[in-house]
Amino acid sequence: MNTNYLFLTIFLAVAIIFPLIPLAIAWAWARLFSPPKPGHEKLASYECGIDSTGPAQVQFQSHYYLYALVFLVFDVETIFLMPFAAAFLKLEFSAFLTLMVFLLLLVEGLVWAWAKGILAWK
Amino acid sequence: MTLQILLALSAILFAFGLAAILSRSNAIMILIGIELMLGAANLNFIAFWRFSGNPSDLTGVLFAIFSIAVAAAEAAVGLAIIILVHRRIQSVEVDDASNLKG
Amino acid sequence: MTPSFPIEFCVLFLGVVLLLADAFFPDMDKRKLAHIALVWLGGFLVATFFLRPALLWASPAGFYLADPLGIFFKQFALVATMLTLVLAIEYAPVVERAIPGSKPGAGLGEFFILPVFTCAGLMWMASAADFIMIFCALELVTISFYIQVAYLRKCPASLEAGTKFLILGALSTGFLVYGITWIYGLSGQTGLSAIAGAFAGIPAIPQSSQTALLFGLGLVLVALGFKVAAAPFQFWVPDVYHGAPTPVTAFLSVGSKAAGFVVLMRVLGPFLTVPEIETRVITVLQVLAGITLIYGNLAAMPQTNLKRLLGYSSIAHAGYLLMGVASVGSPLAGRAIVFYLVGYLLMTFLAFLILIPVAKAAGGDDIAHFNGLGRRSPGLALAMLLAMLSLAGLPFTVGFLGKFFIFEAAMQEQQYFLVAIGVVTVACGFYYYLKVVRAMYWQPVPVDAAPVEFSPLGRFAAAFLAALILIVGIFPKPILDILP
Repeated sequence: MNTNYLFLTIFLAVAIIFPLIPLAIAWAWARLFSPPKPGHEKLASYECGIDSTGPAQVQFQSHYYLYALVFLVFDVETIFLMPFAAAFLKLEFSAFLTLMVFLLLLVEGLVWAWAKGILAWK
Repeated sequence: MTLQILLALSAILFAFGLAAILSRSNAIMILIGIELMLGAANLNFIAFWRFSGNPSDLTGVLFAIFSIAVAAAEAAVGLAIIILVHRRIQSVEVDDASNLKG
Repeated sequence: MTPSFPIEFCVLFLGVVLLLADAFFPDMDKRKLAHIALVWLGGFLVATFFLRPALLWASPAGFYLADPLGIFFKQFALVATMLTLVLAIEYAPVVERAIPGSKPGAGLGEFFILPVFTCAGLMWMASAADFIMIFCALELVTISFYIQVAYLRKCPASLEAGTKFLILGALSTGFLVYGITWIYGLSGQTGLSAIAGAFAGIPAIPQSSQTALLFGLGLVLVALGFKVAAAPFQFWVPDVYHGAPTPVTAFLSVGSKAAGFVVLMRVLGPFLTVPEIETRVITVLQVLAGITLIYGNLAAMPQTNLKRLLGYSSIAHAGYLLMGVASVGSPLAGRAIVFYLVGYLLMTFLAFLILIPVAKAAGGDDIAHFNGLGRRSPGLALAMLLAMLSLAGLPFTVGFLGKFFIFEAAMQEQQYFLVAIGVVTVACGFYYYLKVVRAMYWQPVPVDAAPVEFSPLGRFAAAFLAALILIVGIFPKPILDILP
């Protein structure tokens, strides 16, 4: 029993020490043989050797947001399906019909978006 | 965990949301503030439901579910309007859209 | 037993079917959609007269209440939506210009269909007897209004109005839900009758609970104050009314306000049964009514744009209506508010209906664009004259009787100070409404005045509204008899 844990402890220690040794060597090597000399070119972000231009914040096409918005609505409306599924066996038939109407409305939204060409990537 | 702690937490959330709406001029930040306020209300509902004498009456949970769904719809429409504004005036700052006066 | 909500679902499905028709027949003339919607809504309006209150009465859950008041406001919402569609058909060329699409009339379909969804929300609100139902119906109305206000997506004014309306509307939603949580927390209920029952069971509400309850009710009042445009929550009104497309402005000022007042009367019901809370709520309502009356009427005076002017006038009318709500102890108050709302619907829609063709011909909606209308097109000028006189409250118009009944109810509740403010502000009202009349009859016709074109449907609607303003103003009994 105890020996099992001893084995695990040794294994854990070795597992920690083993990667630390090369890291320590690399750190010592960097301190001794290559001290930092920052300059303009060294600090520039790497972009195939060419000086980078323009802002770093890329603007997405706003078409992209349309998908996100349609997704958001459908995603959150599933919150009504969860309690329905949990209580499914206890529900009356009318409750089932009510939820089908709700789903029909959601599907109608999707069909409308599709027919309007909102889902076509431009 | 008592009801008071939860109510205090929701009050703080509500105050943060309100402060964001009143002080920020970035429309996205204002929408986030509104979501915080609605989140505070949902927390209140769940807390009041959990500590009410009758947890089998699910009214509080029901309201929270409706509130989450409505908030999503509101955020979707809100974001769409803000994107339109951004396309038109290249800015989401509310102060940049203030030509109507009088 | 399950609750049945027949009429609202019919309206909702009408909207859904129209949306699909709009999506699948992109080449059709979108005005056809508006005509179809008009015919069907008219059919539903006829159907509401055959609804027996008892037939629909209460569901076991208490979500839905089809009492005479609820059914009356369903009819009110249907009429307002139909008038909005008439206005929208008049306004269609502006929308077509503002939304350039691949085909003429692209993007016009939703402009006609969104009011139908708003109508369903308004009708649900009229029957809502539970905070969950009130909240969902209110949000259906508000969210569809966000889209309609920002509808002219190439027009910066409309977008700005949409943004402002969105931010303040969402803020008021936050207040509403947070306020409801406190009421729920203290009573353990969300149904209005159940809340009243919970209060009735307690002999005396402890002081701390009273404070918390007033806090919750206060937040709900703030949110409803936003919706009905009561001061000091009115600051979105002028900009939104100015920037929104004109039919939406009319719909917003009538539909949103009427629904707000119905909800206000229903929500206040359970709280007015508790004497400790009642006096304080009434005081708050009196203060709100006073501020709203003074602010709305004074700020309207220097306006030069007619849409802004009508925006401030809408605030002022909210003040008179709040005066009615503050006198809710009087048996006359309920009828007075309903009658006032009917009158407000008639005169506001008439004013906006005349504004659209005049603005189209003159290229703007300032009061100066009405110069010399009395000689250019006497019929339109006469209708506008009637709308303005009624808004100002001249005798023999519906506006006069509306104010008269409200003042009567307030006198019965001994609110002499409010009545005094009301009478003084009515005098202010004469000044700014008559500015429009002066422009129409005492200003010279501009040299470059274009002829005003008005469609037969619009002419019919305008004549109908003008006739009703006079008829109801002289024989108010049929409207007063609607409520028991």
